[in-house]
Amino acid sequence: MTAVTQVALPLPILPEGWSAEKDFKAVGPLSPPTQRNIEPVGPHFLAHARRKRHKRTFSEDER
Amino acid sequence: MSAEESAPARTAIGIGFGNSYSSIAYTTGDGKAEVIANEEGDRQIPSILSYIEGEEFQGTQAKAQLIRNPKNTVAYFRDFLGKDFKSIDPSPCHASAHPVEHSSGIAFSIRDTEAESENTVTVSEITTRHLKRLKTSASDFLGKEVNAAVITVPTDYSVAQKEGLKASAKGAGIEVLQFIHEPVSAVLAYDARPDAKLSDKIILVADLGGTRSDVAVVASRGGMYSILATAHDYDLGGAKLDKVLIDHFAKEFIKKHKTDPRKNERSLAKLKLESEATRKALSLGATASFSVESLADGIDFTATINRTRFELLANKVFGSFIRLIEGAVQKAELDVLDIDEIILTGGTSHTPKIASNLQTHFPQSTAILAPATSVTAINPSELSARGAAIQASLIAEYDTEDIEQSTHPMVTVTPHISKAIGVLCISDDEQKGIFKKLVEAETAVPARRTAHFAVPREGGDVIVKICEGVREIKVSKPEPKPKTNGKPEGEDDVDDDEDDEDEDDEDEEDEIREKVWKAGKVLAETAVKGVKKGGKVEVQVNVGGDLAVQLIVREVGGKGGVRGNIGKPTTVENGSA
Ligand SMILES: Nc1ncnc2c1ncn2[C@@H]1O[C@H](COP(=O)(O)OP(=O)(O)OP(=O)(O)O)[C@@H](O)[C@H]1O
Ligand SMILES: [Mg+2]
Repeated sequence: MTAVTQVALPLPILPEGWSAEKDFKAVGPLSPPTQRNIEPVGPHFLAHARRKRHKRTFSEDER
Repeated sequence: MSAEESAPARTAIGIGFGNSYSSIAYTTGDGKAEVIANEEGDRQIPSILSYIEGEEFQGTQAKAQLIRNPKNTVAYFRDFLGKDFKSIDPSPCHASAHPVEHSSGIAFSIRDTEAESENTVTVSEITTRHLKRLKTSASDFLGKEVNAAVITVPTDYSVAQKEGLKASAKGAGIEVLQFIHEPVSAVLAYDARPDAKLSDKIILVADLGGTRSDVAVVASRGGMYSILATAHDYDLGGAKLDKVLIDHFAKEFIKKHKTDPRKNERSLAKLKLESEATRKALSLGATASFSVESLADGIDFTATINRTRFELLANKVFGSFIRLIEGAVQKAELDVLDIDEIILTGGTSHTPKIASNLQTHFPQSTAILAPATSVTAINPSELSARGAAIQASLIAEYDTEDIEQSTHPMVTVTPHISKAIGVLCISDDEQKGIFKKLVEAETAVPARRTAHFAVPREGGDVIVKICEGVREIKVSKPEPKPKTNGKPEGEDDVDDDEDDEDEDDEDEEDEIREKVWKAGKVLAETAVKGVKKGGKVEVQVNVGGDLAVQLIVREVGGKGGVRGNIGKPTTVENGSA
């Protein structure tokens, strides 16, 4: 997915007094995910599988 | 490294194999899926075999034998594969060869040779013979021997059923490259169209077949598909609608001739065959004829029916389709407003009334892809085979081991984010700001999405507040209309009373239901300083396989920018599908 979404609504003005180291502040993690099965079908899945399998061979190497 | 080890080149097709019909498809050199017509010119080939004096007939020719030779005609067998006798519902085979118990599961007793005696032919062998015929049709068309296929199966097809089907295919000289789920195949057939735009959406696939109907709710995210819920009705499909016409015309016949053609097996078979043909004609035309030679007592019967009449008669059955579909939405814990698209697949999806009923039960924002409601809809009878053909062309070159590894749960079972991720616009106050989605819920990770945001008119320093979003259904009453029935409001008491009487109905109709997004938990904040007038800010969210998030925020065309990381959450929840 390389397509870039365009949002016409403006971002808010930086509140006065806001500051953070390197202008970035992490607040909290994502909510816990759900485990699901991706259907092993279509070109995008095959690309995903390729990525994932490469990583797996990496971790197998580490064992 | 020997010669045998280098696998011979595959010629692979897609097979949609249903209890009622099968179809075969291939992918052209330029990547387009096409359904193949068999020697008889059929693209929907009845999944039926029939034997006369040892000669085998398949498809439409075999189907015609349901009238003359039902005992040696085998139909509706796909769902029997890999099952034991006690677990099946034999009722679809009521008017053809009956399934019997066999040491290997299920078989049919038929006279399939010239000999007088019957043979026990297993469902596995029947399937092999059927697939062999499909293979021959495809090979003849393509001019080379087909030796591999992707075959579609229902989402509830068990491992044992797949094993059974795989063995049958092997017996027919077909290597099953992969089984894919029927609804997913339909989605792929649509997504593979050259003009298809990739977008994140929730698709409901309603597969309305001959003997059964199946529904799947699919999250389509960046071209990857995850099934959120499924629903099945093993007793709902075209056959139920045929029954409506059978009863209708039988009653007409009784009125005239005082005899019930349903009481005689052969007459009933004739009624059934003609009802299906009439019903198909009603999908296209406003009226259709119904005509059977020698229906009963040697009397010919001819009648016509118009679509409106049929729709009235079949109203109850149509209601069952809607209930099945709405049930699937509930099972997915979604609202009808969440369904972006409905793909109608399976032959019965040609029925205009089913598609138009869906239009009234779903909001206008739901696109309904069926012949009656969309000019660009793909033939619902072909979707399954087409998707399979596309998948076959994608993996035909892979080693068998590669395919197995890619389809293994180690690869396919993946965390999906549970809440949408987005950015607050207009105000940084979570109550006032407007949440703009970047990553949809139910997106498999790793995932990456990018968006460009406008800034206040004069530019300057802005804040990018990344949050999770919560979808709510807002229900409101419309502004009272200034006039009803052409009379000024409040002037007519009689009208008001009438309104009160059917308050329930009216209120539900009048409510305005809409989807609104609220900002939930805040994940991170970032400042982008000195954005120029009319500038834009790019926000890129990278969600890692471990759910840690990397953000890249910068002014479009500007230098530098901010990178930040959000740590991963600690627990994982189990999904339902
Ligand atoms: N043009 C049409 N209009 C209405 N119904 C149609 C049309 N074409 C096919 N059908 C119906 O579709 C049904 C077959 O659907 P499909 O080809 O999807 O079968 P299937 O998947 O093999 O069915 P099953 O549910 O038995 O496994 C039949 O009842 C047939 O009459
Ligand atoms: Mg089907």
